[in-house]
Amino acid sequence: MTLSVEKARTSSDFWAEFVRHPVAVIAAVILLVVIVLAVFAPLIAPQDPYDLSSLVMRDARRAPGYIGTGGYTHILGTDSQGRDLFSAILYGLRISLEMGLLAGAIAFSIGALVGCTAAYVGGRFEALVMRLVDLQLSFPAILLAFVVAALLGQGKGQLIVALVFSQYAYFVRTAHGAAAVERNKDYVEAALSVPMSGWFVVTRHILPNALPPLIVVATVQVASAISLEATLSFLGVGLPPTEPSLGMLISGGFQYLLSGRYWISIYPGVALIVLIMAINLVGDQVRSQLNPRLKR
Amino acid sequence: MTAPLLEVTDLCTYFEARTGTVKSVDGISFHLEKGEILGLVGESGSGKSITGFSLIGLIDKPGRIVSGSIKLDGRELVGLSEPELRKIRGRDIAMVFQDPMMTLNPVLTILDQMTMALQAHERISDADARLRAVEALRKVRIVDPELKVDFYPHQFSGGMRQRVAIAIALLHRPKIVIADEPTTALDVSVQAEILVEVKSLVAELGISMIWISHDLATVASISKRIAVMKAGKIVETGLAAKVLRTPSHPYTQSLLDALPSRSKPGQRLGAAASDHDAGSAAHPVAATVADPSFVVMAGLVKVFEQKRGFWARLSERIGLVKSKKPVLAVENVDLTIAKGEALGLVGESGSGKSTLGRIVCGIYQPTEGRVTLNNSPVMSAGPQSRKLTTNVQMIFQDPFASLDPRRTIGQSIAEGPIAHGLTSKAEARSYVAEWLKAVSLDPAFADRYPHQFSGGQRQRIAIARALAMRPEVIVCDEPVASLDVSIQAQILNLLLQLRKELGLTLLFISHDLSVVRHLCDRVAVMYRGKIVEVGTAEEIFDAPQEPYTRALLDAIPKLA
Amino acid sequence: MVAFIVRRLWQAALVMLVMSLLVFLGVFVIGNPVDVLISPDATQDIRNRVIAQYGLDLPIWQQYLHFASNLLHGDLGRSFVYNMPVSQLIASRFPATMELAVIAVLLASLIGIPLGIYAGYKPESWTAKVIMALSILGFSVPTFWIGLMLIMVFAVQLGIMPAGGRGETVSVFGIPVSFLTFDGMRHLILPAVNLSLFKMSMMIRLAASGTREVMLTDTIKFARAAGINEWTILRRHVLRLISIPLVTVFGLELGSTIAFAVVTETIYSWPGLGKLIIDSITSLDRPVMVAYLMLVSLMFITINLVVDLAYAVLDPRMRHGGGK
Repeated sequence: MTLSVEKARTSSDFWAEFVRHPVAVIAAVILLVVIVLAVFAPLIAPQDPYDLSSLVMRDARRAPGYIGTGGYTHILGTDSQGRDLFSAILYGLRISLEMGLLAGAIAFSIGALVGCTAAYVGGRFEALVMRLVDLQLSFPAILLAFVVAALLGQGKGQLIVALVFSQYAYFVRTAHGAAAVERNKDYVEAALSVPMSGWFVVTRHILPNALPPLIVVATVQVASAISLEATLSFLGVGLPPTEPSLGMLISGGFQYLLSGRYWISIYPGVALIVLIMAINLVGDQVRSQLNPRLKR
Repeated sequence: MTAPLLEVTDLCTYFEARTGTVKSVDGISFHLEKGEILGLVGESGSGKSITGFSLIGLIDKPGRIVSGSIKLDGRELVGLSEPELRKIRGRDIAMVFQDPMMTLNPVLTILDQMTMALQAHERISDADARLRAVEALRKVRIVDPELKVDFYPHQFSGGMRQRVAIAIALLHRPKIVIADEPTTALDVSVQAEILVEVKSLVAELGISMIWISHDLATVASISKRIAVMKAGKIVETGLAAKVLRTPSHPYTQSLLDALPSRSKPGQRLGAAASDHDAGSAAHPVAATVADPSFVVMAGLVKVFEQKRGFWARLSERIGLVKSKKPVLAVENVDLTIAKGEALGLVGESGSGKSTLGRIVCGIYQPTEGRVTLNNSPVMSAGPQSRKLTTNVQMIFQDPFASLDPRRTIGQSIAEGPIAHGLTSKAEARSYVAEWLKAVSLDPAFADRYPHQFSGGQRQRIAIARALAMRPEVIVCDEPVASLDVSIQAQILNLLLQLRKELGLTLLFISHDLSVVRHLCDRVAVMYRGKIVEVGTAEEIFDAPQEPYTRALLDAIPKLA
Repeated sequence: MVAFIVRRLWQAALVMLVMSLLVFLGVFVIGNPVDVLISPDATQDIRNRVIAQYGLDLPIWQQYLHFASNLLHGDLGRSFVYNMPVSQLIASRFPATMELAVIAVLLASLIGIPLGIYAGYKPESWTAKVIMALSILGFSVPTFWIGLMLIMVFAVQLGIMPAGGRGETVSVFGIPVSFLTFDGMRHLILPAVNLSLFKMSMMIRLAASGTREVMLTDTIKFARAAGINEWTILRRHVLRLISIPLVTVFGLELGSTIAFAVVTETIYSWPGLGKLIIDSITSLDRPVMVAYLMLVSLMFITINLVVDLAYAVLDPRMRHGGGK
């Protein structure tokens, strides 16, 4: 019965297991391609959607395949301002990724630090922090982000604040949960009985061991931050119109959907879904590999 | 000669893994007579549990019965369909598991669970099921069964829960009960009661039983015939008394040799018993040496406050709710350990012995009293107390949990000595190598991670980590409790040897009296937070004064 | 048990206090309400009068007390845009949102939980893999985009469903509901499905992982060893064991569905609270924003309270004080 419980500890084992799942590998490859496309958008895109002077109203709302004033084919058509949709999507992905990763990274750092410290320190501090976090978690992230974004107004910085505010609590709780388990393990007591300093124990013992669940939460939260950003922008409380994110492109195409100009909303949406889906699929595989309870 | 009740021939249960086939049960044959208790003994991984599950056709996915035959009353069970097997499970062959905490459903009452088990094989009304359930509980000597039948599992103690599990197994008066380590998770006194009751129940109901255990002594005390398993095979089978007195297989012999209760205190255990230190005295470093009060525990009290928030406390104060009682884990403990002495601390679970060990080691701050080592305190006073000395170190029970899985063992061993200036970062490698050699491990292991080692090796690493701090006192909290008996013997040998070489002072905490007797000069018995008796090992074991100590000693199952 | 309820009530009151403070600070202090209350070209005289009327010249803590006491009296102020008491405005919009949210959560649970249990029971099966893949898809596609697609397919391309509005309603105890009329049902179905898909994916995943973990425990092995059939094991053991986390999620999801309704209501022009809050944010109708936030806080706190109590009822370890 005691077939080794703790397999896949080292990273090489981890990748060996990962590549055995074709869906996850495909998702990872797609994610990589999307990231490359987004990072090199200025080199790939035929048009700079920020450059208002390059927009020609005559090109607006053209179907995919239309050859516009610029002399190149708009393979995905154009939007209501005559922007090349393919270019706009690449830049939109760039913004989505930027927002998602930045917000995720900030929320991750806050969460890991606060959660692990709370678990280590215990007592009043732990009780207070976790009460606050639980309170905040009982409010849906979308509502918090929505209210904060509405109060702060439009802008990249404001949006990141809103996203971090709505998501950091998940990281705190996960980090706290994982760290509280580690905190009571013998190896932490062993280190404390040497005695090693509290800082050393938190940073060298507790944090590294609390990382796996945090990584899983991070993938979910980055995906959901991207989705949130798009939703907020769609509702008009996210990014300003000068930053054409995917949500805004979709929102801009909404009114034309009923008249059959489907491409303005659909293609940015597909790009968004591919991105989120790829992150979630990779995250799902990582989760099942890191969950010790599901191992045989 | 009638055919036996159960006849197993050449049974093979294999697990197909990616890395290859694991032959968990590899061609075993045995039989079970009516009314008989057969003991199945083996160390972890020997295939004894898989054998039990094979009999009722409950093998987890990658595993399956590859060949062989299981005949119950002449009927072949191997190859039966799932619905047919289900008719046999619970009705003809029932099973009891190790941890009653895990087997009973925490959100259903005992009655619910018993009714389900009854209705699995009989058409029976809920009212009749209740009568049967009460009857079954009464049979396993649960007081007030009419009342207790509506309880949830968490309202019972561990021993009571295991009785409930046994009652569920006996509901249909099965022909055979398979008991898989049923008393391993229980205290020795509870185990003793259950052993007696099971024996009489088996006789009363005329059922047969297969008692699976790693512990030779419990098996010997309950079963007439035993089978010894090793690596999927039965290496020896016969009458318990005969196998234990004159084992025919070397593996059985080595298992017996590894038992501390079968050798003289202080002697090396196992096959290599008679090499260099055969002639040494029972207790090499006699406690006569200097300083009788090297470690002093004075008036120690440890209270664990129930965690309550501000509002809960306010509600209590204005009388809205009753206050929760704080838990008194250690109550007025005064003890001394002489320099170079090994003091055994024995007690059952919940007696507070681990808490006391952690106070001595400076992991917990005592609520009252203090611990001094060579007249200087182990911890500073006050709410923000720190551990002041590196002179006391600890070895923990679970070697899987006591090493950080994400640090190499070299890092784990070296971090303390570096932080406290016993070695430098530059010299850490050779320093670690030295201590790995001291616990008979290859110095090259330093770069590996804990998961690459076996339980016994990990415990050696944990010992090396403690020794690397050059302590004079080591607190050992059940250091061998989770190890197989042969590995346990090696670790005990290592501790004995190190103690002699380094002149260590030991506080050795254990529930296992035979281990304590083997290793310790003096013994303190702890019960519900208090020390009830202290004395030399001979005094405690041969002439115990307190009734509790006597009861504890009587509860130990004896070998033959 | 009593202690538990008392503690939770304490906490609920405290939370409402904190929320009222936050909302007050957020909405009234950030930005100057005077700019919203009166047109910029009003005379200084009028400005001063308005400031005095709303007590804006008082110290901030007095303003808060004023705000809090009004709140306790149920006076939420008047909407600038609709020029009617906010309480009336909210009361007229609330039923539409509740109807949408409740139907969406029911859809999500009734379909999601059985699918999830199946997927967790037979994780290696082909069907389970499809269910789990679909749940990831449902998890990944933003609600607003699904809403657009549903409109495009069912309203624009097929023309079998209306693209927006609430349709015909009937009054039940004075509350207008849509699901009892054919027309209302037609209007309800797309937004309800839209709103439920994300929740359904979550329910599937939760039920699946819960079931999968429970199936590996000794409790199930012991039940099997007693000869209990798989259907009974699923129905009695597994469902009871996973119901505890599921009930928690059910409650929380009802809350978050009301929040998510903002998106769905915008797309389907559903005349509920979500639509109202979006409009009030764009038109800076602060009294409505405040009222909405306070109402939503109250709702979440109530839901959390109910969930905690349900938890205590479902888990005997809590009920008998065995737990924390």
